[in-house]
Amino acid sequence: MMDENSEKVVSAIASVKHIPREMISLDSSLEGLGFDSLDRITLLFELEKQFNISVPDDAVPALRVVRDVVEGVARLVANASLHPAASEGGP
Amino acid sequence: MSKRRVAITGLGVICALGSHTAAVWDSLRAGRCGIARMDSVDLSKLRFQNGAQVHGYDAGKHFEPKQADLLDRFAQFALIAAREALRDSGITLGAGLREQTAIVTGSCMGGQSTQDTAFVELYQRDLGRVHPLSIPRTMASAAASQISMELGATGPAYTISTACASSSHAIGQAFWMIRQGAAEIAIAGGSEAPFSMGLLKAWEAMRIISPDTCRPFSKDRRGLILGEGGAMLVLEPLDAARARGARIYAELAGFGMSSDAHHITQPSVDGPVRAMRAALRDAGLLPEQVGYINAHGTGTPANDSIETLAIRAAFGAHAGRLAVSSTKSLHGHALGAAGALEAVCTALAIREGLIPPTANFNAPDPECDLDVVPNLARPAHVECALSNSFAFGGLNAVLAFRAHPN
Repeated sequence: MMDENSEKVVSAIASVKHIPREMISLDSSLEGLGFDSLDRITLLFELEKQFNISVPDDAVPALRVVRDVVEGVARLVANASLHPAASEGGP
Repeated sequence: MSKRRVAITGLGVICALGSHTAAVWDSLRAGRCGIARMDSVDLSKLRFQNGAQVHGYDAGKHFEPKQADLLDRFAQFALIAAREALRDSGITLGAGLREQTAIVTGSCMGGQSTQDTAFVELYQRDLGRVHPLSIPRTMASAAASQISMELGATGPAYTISTACASSSHAIGQAFWMIRQGAAEIAIAGGSEAPFSMGLLKAWEAMRIISPDTCRPFSKDRRGLILGEGGAMLVLEPLDAARARGARIYAELAGFGMSSDAHHITQPSVDGPVRAMRAALRDAGLLPEQVGYINAHGTGTPANDSIETLAIRAAFGAHAGRLAVSSTKSLHGHALGAAGALEAVCTALAIREGLIPPTANFNAPDPECDLDVVPNLARPAHVECALSNSFAFGGLNAVLAFRAHPN
């Protein structure tokens, strides 16, 4: 079972790549799902909107599998609820 | 009929390094970087803070209010550069010459700051109307029109938009027109003014803007820095330039183009290789004759390593003997104006015998293992040089220059 955040991330990936959700697991690599650099920035744009977070540019290259994205989002969401101002602006 | 040779006899430029050619050359020579905190936008709304803006720019010093009303900032920069270039060439456009004078400009975005303002008024302030001069200010060809009107040039005039290669394509097309006899004078180059919030946010979302500065070919490079400005070259047949005793900065010797047919943003090796080879072929040059390349050198991790591979593929063993610098480290990436700014840098490097450096260089990168002229300008006699422009979407343009003994 995926938690709510994971479900949202998987939905966003399915929407960006126009692929069925069933193709995507937490262990799927973004590269294996056919992600190029534009798909990556489009996914982050969608996630920033949905979760009201700001993903630093430096975090992008480290995102290899779907789980990395889910965990990154969880960290930023937790951080934003601890320090509301920190979600504005970015690095 | 043999092809005519083409001379560069006038230069005009305004950018973060200065508002005329001599000031810009002083900065290039000293390796003085024009990148600073942006001052025209609300930085609290942006992830990045730095840009290469024209410092202390005052449109009122260059234009009467009535003329300025019609000019977006990008067209102002084009006009300022065109005026200086023509003045610098010593040419007077008399009645006979006007209709043989071509204007070819490049711009990636056109008058988008005018559009930005209009849309703020429409969507944010709900004014329900847009300024009636928005269209004539915004259109990308406004710069070509405004230059031709002010100078009375009635020959071929048009604008090329190929993203970050726009003004290299423009100069190349103008060069070919002179060479083929389709024009006797050409004013060619480009301009850009990308510092408005809508466009900056769009670049921010691309995640390729450096958080600090532009460090092409350096191991710790983190992206490009946007720049603004305009640059224009006056081109004419070499024989005509000699006959009138003109100062000749360099000969524009060749132009090569290609398309990657690969990806809308990712660079490739093959397309740039073919464009460099095409420029050399067009100029009748051997790779071994080239001493300097003004690189596209954006400072993004991908561009600089791919460009290194392309230069190695195009030049073979001679790549190790080339000086390769990116002046974007000094004047920023001025998008559609970049190729023209760099053509000015290249012509001056040949004329002055001094190669401008790659500034802000900290550490060598094994993936960028060329002589990138780090941080300090280098005296050198350059017989032949290339200027590379490799745009988003894989549209490549390379200009080849040859020294001319004055």
